[in-house]
Amino acid sequence: MNAPLTMLWLTPLAGAAVCAFLARYGALFFSMLFAGLVAGVACGQSSGGVLSVVNELGPVWAYGISYRLSADSLSIGLIALTAFLNLICVAASWELEVPAGYWACFMALASALTGVFLARDLFFFYVFWEATLIPMFFIIGLWGSSNRLHAAVKFFLFTFAGSVFMLLALLALVSAHHRITGVWTWDLAALDATTLGPVAPLVFWGLIAGFAVKIPMFPLHTWLPDAHTEAPAAGSVMLAGVMLKMGVYGLLRVALPLFPTLSFEALPILGGLAAFSTIYGALCAMAQTDLKRMIAYSSIAHLGFCLLGVLSRTSQGLTGGTLQLINHGLTTGALFLMVGFLYERAHKRGLSDFGDLATRAPYLAFFFGFSTLASIGLPGLNGFVGEFMALSGALSVLPILAFAGVLGVTLAAAYALPAFQAVFWAPAGPGSVSAKVTDLNRRERAVLWTLSLLMLWIGLAPRPWLAYFEPALRGLVR
Amino acid sequence: MTAAQVPWAAWLLFAAPVAAILIGFFGFRRFKPEWTHLPILASCAVVTASAFWLAAHVYTGHSFDLNLFRFAEAGDWAVDFGLRVDGPGVAVLAMVSFVGSLIHLYAAGYMKGDPGFSRFFLVFHLFFLAMIGLLTANNFVQLYLFWELVGVASYLLVGYWFHKETARKAALKAFLTNRVGDFGLLLAVLLIVLQFKITHFHLLYLKAASGATFELLPVIGFLLVWAACAKSAQFPLYFWLPDAMEGPTPTSALMHAATMVTAGVFLLVRSWPLISLVEGLPHLIAWIGAVTALGAAVVAGTKKDLKRILAYSTVSHLGLMMLALGLGQIATALFHLIVHGFFKAALFLCAGNIAHALHQPTANVDDVGGLQKSMRLTYLSFLLAALSLAGVFPLGGFFSKDAILDAAWHHGGALAVMGMLVAAGSAFYIFRMLFLAFYGARPEQKQAPHAHEAEPILGVPVLFLALGAAAAGLLKEPVERFVLMGWRGMPSGLAGLDLVLNLPGEPVLPHLNMTVAVLGTAMAALGAFAAWRLTMSDPGFDWRWRGGAAEAVFESDFGWKTLVDAFVRGVSRLAGFTGRVLDKGGVDGAVEGSAGFVRAAGAAIARSAQGRINDYLWWMLAGTAILLLRVLR
Repeated sequence: MNAPLTMLWLTPLAGAAVCAFLARYGALFFSMLFAGLVAGVACGQSSGGVLSVVNELGPVWAYGISYRLSADSLSIGLIALTAFLNLICVAASWELEVPAGYWACFMALASALTGVFLARDLFFFYVFWEATLIPMFFIIGLWGSSNRLHAAVKFFLFTFAGSVFMLLALLALVSAHHRITGVWTWDLAALDATTLGPVAPLVFWGLIAGFAVKIPMFPLHTWLPDAHTEAPAAGSVMLAGVMLKMGVYGLLRVALPLFPTLSFEALPILGGLAAFSTIYGALCAMAQTDLKRMIAYSSIAHLGFCLLGVLSRTSQGLTGGTLQLINHGLTTGALFLMVGFLYERAHKRGLSDFGDLATRAPYLAFFFGFSTLASIGLPGLNGFVGEFMALSGALSVLPILAFAGVLGVTLAAAYALPAFQAVFWAPAGPGSVSAKVTDLNRRERAVLWTLSLLMLWIGLAPRPWLAYFEPALRGLVR
Repeated sequence: MTAAQVPWAAWLLFAAPVAAILIGFFGFRRFKPEWTHLPILASCAVVTASAFWLAAHVYTGHSFDLNLFRFAEAGDWAVDFGLRVDGPGVAVLAMVSFVGSLIHLYAAGYMKGDPGFSRFFLVFHLFFLAMIGLLTANNFVQLYLFWELVGVASYLLVGYWFHKETARKAALKAFLTNRVGDFGLLLAVLLIVLQFKITHFHLLYLKAASGATFELLPVIGFLLVWAACAKSAQFPLYFWLPDAMEGPTPTSALMHAATMVTAGVFLLVRSWPLISLVEGLPHLIAWIGAVTALGAAVVAGTKKDLKRILAYSTVSHLGLMMLALGLGQIATALFHLIVHGFFKAALFLCAGNIAHALHQPTANVDDVGGLQKSMRLTYLSFLLAALSLAGVFPLGGFFSKDAILDAAWHHGGALAVMGMLVAAGSAFYIFRMLFLAFYGARPEQKQAPHAHEAEPILGVPVLFLALGAAAAGLLKEPVERFVLMGWRGMPSGLAGLDLVLNLPGEPVLPHLNMTVAVLGTAMAALGAFAAWRLTMSDPGFDWRWRGGAAEAVFESDFGWKTLVDAFVRGVSRLAGFTGRVLDKGGVDGAVEGSAGFVRAAGAAIARSAQGRINDYLWWMLAGTAILLLRVLR
């Protein structure tokens, strides 16, 4: 255990291999082991009251490519989210009749995601980044719903296209750095983008293109509704819960530190798109008739808040935006899981396919209502804290953005509550499949209690969470 | 002062309801749902006792305000949560807990046997808890938290009978309209953080009054007023409240008297030291209040549903409170809020008793008349509360309304005239209701056979509320003192505001002015006489005018509801367009290869993701080539 960080991403990968034989038991065991390891690293990191950064250095190869891992609280926080949601996904899919590959894909996905959050060498960062696509491609394409192939291919090509811009940007960055300094390096800390000259904007926008597709930011978002809708419930959870966060993480880890001035000059454009995303996502969500699609569009709006905060480069904006990454993972994760439970029971997702579920499935109604309220930013639950701080940050930099963002908060209720009412309150119409919906069983309730209590905790006492992330973000404050 | 020195009563305000809700939710709801009200009624008793104890404590000069814990923090940005038990807060709190508890008691009888009894009580108590939190918050973020919680609880209660489409619609309308108001509050709070770096009420007051100019203050003030207009049902955002009567009657009573609509007025009282610094804003508030009060009073006189009449009456009375606020009479506004809480709760519960007697969820003036004989206790309670509402000496409503009319009279001009007209209008609608429901059965009314008096659990709380409404005039002096204390210093180390703050208008209540008292009473008599003429001496009048153009005008609230509906349709059409046309056809169409859009927009990113590997490779090659060329040149 001399290399805790390597262990961190190798554990789920080993789990993926073991899953081939042990299927869900392997997944459960390794998810728990993985979560335990993350907890261990997090504890080790925060012992003594000061958050320390854990580093790991490997050999250096040709062109300065080196195996270099590092974990500050931002990395560990997101890895913890990965491990937690992975465990939740395993628990939630426990009774699915799926082949071993399903479980292996989830473990492999967790491994690749962990790698993204750990890597400090841009080459490895890119490799892990792309590696996340493979398991997710199979999760959507093999275990998705009716239109899964189309969605899987669209997801793959769209996000891959985005990453190609990122790759080109990285190549340009590294080679330009070599041209100027004579040193080959992919080390994030060693690279200095301030001397790039005219190439700098190209590199910056290339990186942004890669990250913006992942986030996703309007107008690069249209892979998301398809992918989320067609993916199996647990796939949607990982997709929304963690994979979208890679984009914001990329901004925080790569784009903002490398291009402090350029990213600030781009604020009107990027922030404008983010603010627009919050309104646009909400309006689109209002028009949806498919429950899962509605939640997918709401993700676009929610990630807009994260971006607004992060781009403001203020203390409260960065911390709140980052907390909002976690919040969105929990809230949207819970919502996707519940739509999955519905789909498992009735094989339908349309708003008009259900009705009267509040009487038929009161537990489901309770948890869905709770998560919906968290999702629309009810104070006292997690969503509010992140949104409020992110908007407060945005307001101090470019007030019009915050104004648009607050409008987005207002609109959130206009899509979430009608959808809730249609499914849970309205009487079941003709052709409704509500009769097939049984209430949540004990396992499902346990999963949702866990998520709901976390939402409540973050909502009522967010301070420890904020204090955890703040040190890692301090350097980005302008 | 430390947290350890906070009196027990203050903790109990929160501990009791939270415990009751948890016990009810995890214990009784599962095992004995029909007993869910027991811990909750106990909590009501504890809260009322605590509130009165705190009121006495504050009255003897022991108000306090202290930060308890840091809610959120990042860098130099921080928000603290705490407790503020001061004059204005505790005055409203005492009324809310007393009236609210009686309504809880009533609900235990009214909702008995309803399949959702347990759910009702839990949410009902959450509503109550949210209001307690709102009244004891010591900063804007905390206030916003409870403000939203009030909104959610009201949503769940208005939509309580969710099988009814009208209930679902009304709940959504209430929540979304309030959300439109919350847009103002959220933005105001964000701007306060930006401008002042603090959200603590008292420190804000001191900072705002320090003489420095704060260029965002007018915007903040305006947004706060906007938020109050939604919550307290003022023009232009009042329209959700009349529909919100779709909830069970105890909900309407609680919402109209104690826990929801008073929040907007209270917000303005809390932020008065900020609002009063903005030139012209108090005047705007006064006008909003006067227009709303008059318009709603007229419309209330034309409604048929008993609860709907009362709902418009609430809008009208909230308008009067706003008028008083706008004229700088904070104490008057709060005094009327408290008196109104008593008589409006009593009136709603009387309407509930009538509906209960008819075995209907709600009652209409067409349903029944002459209840005076069969429902004596309800009649007596209604009469007391109605006379109080109409402002008949010496009942509570007389004193509070007179104080408002007096303020308007001294201001003079249109506001004075409008105030007097509202007095006449209020008397008209409440006497019309009284005559139609309780006197002489009319041939047009259906005459449900056996309307009988309600059982004691429904009758007694109403009687207490009605007696409260009659006697509330005695509270005039205490409320005045309470409000004055709100601006004073705190033993917990906060400087007094009365020294640094040049509050416009005396917060002290005006003394009885004979001219206004006589004139106001005359107006009320005029309204009552008109109601008698049109209902008693011409019993069929109320049925004859219906169906004409006049009804169309009144039903649409002078056309405003039509405009609002058009706006809502517009937004939903915009959403439909964005989601189906713009996103599906436009943005996604570009990605999916819609040739039209590709030609039009020609976005390179869209082409590369069309799904054709060839294109995609070409782009990759081209991009690589360009970059390599630039880099390696």
